[in-house]
Amino acid sequence: MAVLRPFDKLPVLNTASLLLVGSDQRLQQELAQAIVKEKKSSNISIHLATSLPLSSERDHLRPRIDLIVFMIDIKNKYSLKNVKASLAHVAASFFLGKVCFLVTGVGRVNYCSVEINSIWKLGEVYCSPVLFCELELEGIRVATAQRLLRMLQICAGHVPGVSALSFSFLLRSSN
Amino acid sequence: MAARELAAAVAAAQQQREKDKDKDKDGDQVVAAVDGLYLLRLREQIKQQFLEYSAVADAGTPAAADDAAREMSVLNAIEDCKKDIEKEKASFWNKTLALQRIQLMAAVRDQMKLNDNDSQLLLKTLQDIVRLSQAVVAYQQQARVKEQKVTDIKRQRLLLKEVGRQKLMQIHDMNKLKEEQTTGKMKMLEEMHNDYKKEKNLTTVIQNLFQAIIIGSRVNWAEDPYLKAIVLQLEKNI
Repeated sequence: MAVLRPFDKLPVLNTASLLLVGSDQRLQQELAQAIVKEKKSSNISIHLATSLPLSSERDHLRPRIDLIVFMIDIKNKYSLKNVKASLAHVAASFFLGKVCFLVTGVGRVNYCSVEINSIWKLGEVYCSPVLFCELELEGIRVATAQRLLRMLQICAGHVPGVSALSFSFLLRSSN
Repeated sequence: MAARELAAAVAAAQQQREKDKDKDKDGDQVVAAVDGLYLLRLREQIKQQFLEYSAVADAGTPAAADDAAREMSVLNAIEDCKKDIEKEKASFWNKTLALQRIQLMAAVRDQMKLNDNDSQLLLKTLQDIVRLSQAVVAYQQQARVKEQKVTDIKRQRLLLKEVGRQKLMQIHDMNKLKEEQTTGKMKMLEEMHNDYKKEKNLTTVIQNLFQAIIIGSRVNWAEDPYLKAIVLQLEKNI
């Protein structure tokens, strides 16, 4: 299947699935490990990908994806292009709170080669929150992992009373 | 179906627990105690997920109306929602402002009640504020009175200008009338003058004619006193 749809499959009990899409494999691995190390009450499965569409061979083995995190490296223009190309393969109903943009590498301001305005516009156009982090630093990595974990739990429906859509509205800036 | 899944999950969790009893991976797998709490949490999860799926299913079945009308109604609804959001934002900011002012006044009041050292400064500042605002109010009052006077004077000046303009118009009209009259008179005078000249010429011609007749008839006019008087008179006025 070329397009990812949010509600095509049934959820697995007490399990949440996260999909990380980004061009830097090493950072993805580090983030995944940080998320897995967190204390949590449900099973988390993390899938890593460099770009969408995902290969359709193993599609029946894949569980339902609850949250897609697009990782954009601020030092690398190619990562932004990659993410923009992958966005076309995501169904529109995913963007109701189940997509998040994660901008990494913000610690080094001198090596910025991607404009922040374009990232903000991306977030506005797709109505998704934009998180900034620096994965090289341990503390920020742990904090980002905690944030993503909480978002994942909400998107998977593990938090009663809070839906992904209402949470994404909370994250919008009130301007 | 959910109950079956739940039962399967419970069985799987029990098996898992027995498997992982001796090897303890930290954090990779959750060793769940199969007790009431776990089941309650699962129940809440399933309820939330069911809610989400039913919402998506409801949204997915469209009412088979024409797309244009639906789109228009949706757009109108969006506009209304945007207006409501703006109104709510404005009222929220107003309320925050009012709240902060109340908090500030409460803090100032407490501070003044609390210690008398710093509160002297506060008291003096507040008194200055009160005095200055009273002065501001008084000055504003005076300014308003003066403005009123200025507007009155302007109005009077306007009236006077209007009256003056009317008077000037009257004078202008009267001047025009007079000129017409005088020119009329002058015309009459001219005509009379012309007539008088004509008559004069006529009389002169007649006089010359009489003179010529009398002299030409070779009558001795010196003898006849009547003729003499006529000739002398003719000599006189030409």
